[in-house]
Amino acid sequence: MTRSIAVAYAVARKDLTSEWRTRELVPALGQFVVLALVIANFGFQIDSQNATVIAPGVLWLALVFAGLVAFGRAFAAEREQASLEAMLLTPASAAAIFAGKAIAAALLLIACEAVLLPALALMFGTPFNAELVAAVLIATVGMAALGCLFAAMVARVRSREVLLPLLTLPLWIPFIVAGGQAVQVAMGASGSYNQAVALLIDFDILFVVLTSLAARFVLDD
Amino acid sequence: MSAIVAHEITQRFGSDVALDAVDFALDEGEHLAVLGDNGAGKTTLLRILATAARPTSGQLAIFGLDAVRERKALRAQIGYVAHAPGLYPALSAAENLEFFCSLHDVDRKRVPEALALVGLSDVARRPAGRLSRGEQQRLAIGRAVLHSPRLLVLDEPDASLDSDGPDLLASVMRGRSVVLATHDHALANRLCQRTVMLSNGRSLGAGTRLRVVR
Repeated sequence: MTRSIAVAYAVARKDLTSEWRTRELVPALGQFVVLALVIANFGFQIDSQNATVIAPGVLWLALVFAGLVAFGRAFAAEREQASLEAMLLTPASAAAIFAGKAIAAALLLIACEAVLLPALALMFGTPFNAELVAAVLIATVGMAALGCLFAAMVARVRSREVLLPLLTLPLWIPFIVAGGQAVQVAMGASGSYNQAVALLIDFDILFVVLTSLAARFVLDD
Repeated sequence: MSAIVAHEITQRFGSDVALDAVDFALDEGEHLAVLGDNGAGKTTLLRILATAARPTSGQLAIFGLDAVRERKALRAQIGYVAHAPGLYPALSAAENLEFFCSLHDVDRKRVPEALALVGLSDVARRPAGRLSRGEQQRLAIGRAVLHSPRLLVLDEPDASLDSDGPDLLASVMRGRSVVLATHDHALANRLCQRTVMLSNGRSLGAGTRLRVVR
């Protein structure tokens, strides 16, 4: 167990160091989510009446597409550099390598959320509070696990840019439904925030366990 | 003790036969050169030996272990240099090796030794992406020996190396079992005691030194 944690930490640290030095992904994702908010702001004719209804949908749309790019990049870069095989030919467990990649990709998406959430509050005039941040962060965990699993699966396929959304989006729907409800309540709509967050945590546990079990077969076989 | 015993190793990709019932054995400490033209099946054979691919059929034992079923255990004993160096361009040469120390669970103190062995001590802090192709190849060789493997699988390791490349390869191969794929018969003759020639996935036979160039 300690060994797996050490491997996951090394892989995540390596990915984050590479991103910090190259700044390939996070600045582009940050710009993307801000542009998405600007377009939605003009497109939906936002006012104080409809902002809290429209903003959650805009948030999840921006997050889902930013996530697809972030998770897709996690394994595509390894394939391009031909470095994934070198990693997998070590005694390190495939599940630990996968966990490290997923943690790094999730942290990159969280960096993007750090731009997205305040920008959303600023442009849509919606509340920016701890409940909102917590709901998005909890959803990010399960979305990262699923997104990275499919990204690993399609990384060696030529049409991976098309396949990744086709495989990932249907399985992200539970996160979008429960996360959407939690965000709506956090922004002032009626409903049970705790119930929506509990559902998100259940999905997180389910998909983190399933993807950890599947990682070995996806990466190593 | 045999380092490798390969019996009728066959690899098919759809209807294409990349390797057709290849047999050979390698004693511990022995160096074997795999020769053949492009598309002969050298890389396919080496990927199977490095446990990066599974043969379609046939039996392969490495150090007495089944190379398909027990490949996880074998990976600590195998060092592989593939066609592409497979490095992280944003990390320095030393950081690349430190990362692989974490994966192999070996002490990071090995990194300066490995860099010195492949002649990269002076560029240890330079990002791998800014190293020349030959230096990247040296770094990949350093990574392959980082965990002191008993078996080295080298796929055209002389590619991009300068004139002292053969000396470098001789020093990393010393004391290990080695399977080396190359087009260079002179290099095979210098570094390996035995050769196996592949053509269209079939073994044309094994022999002792070729003495092609002398």
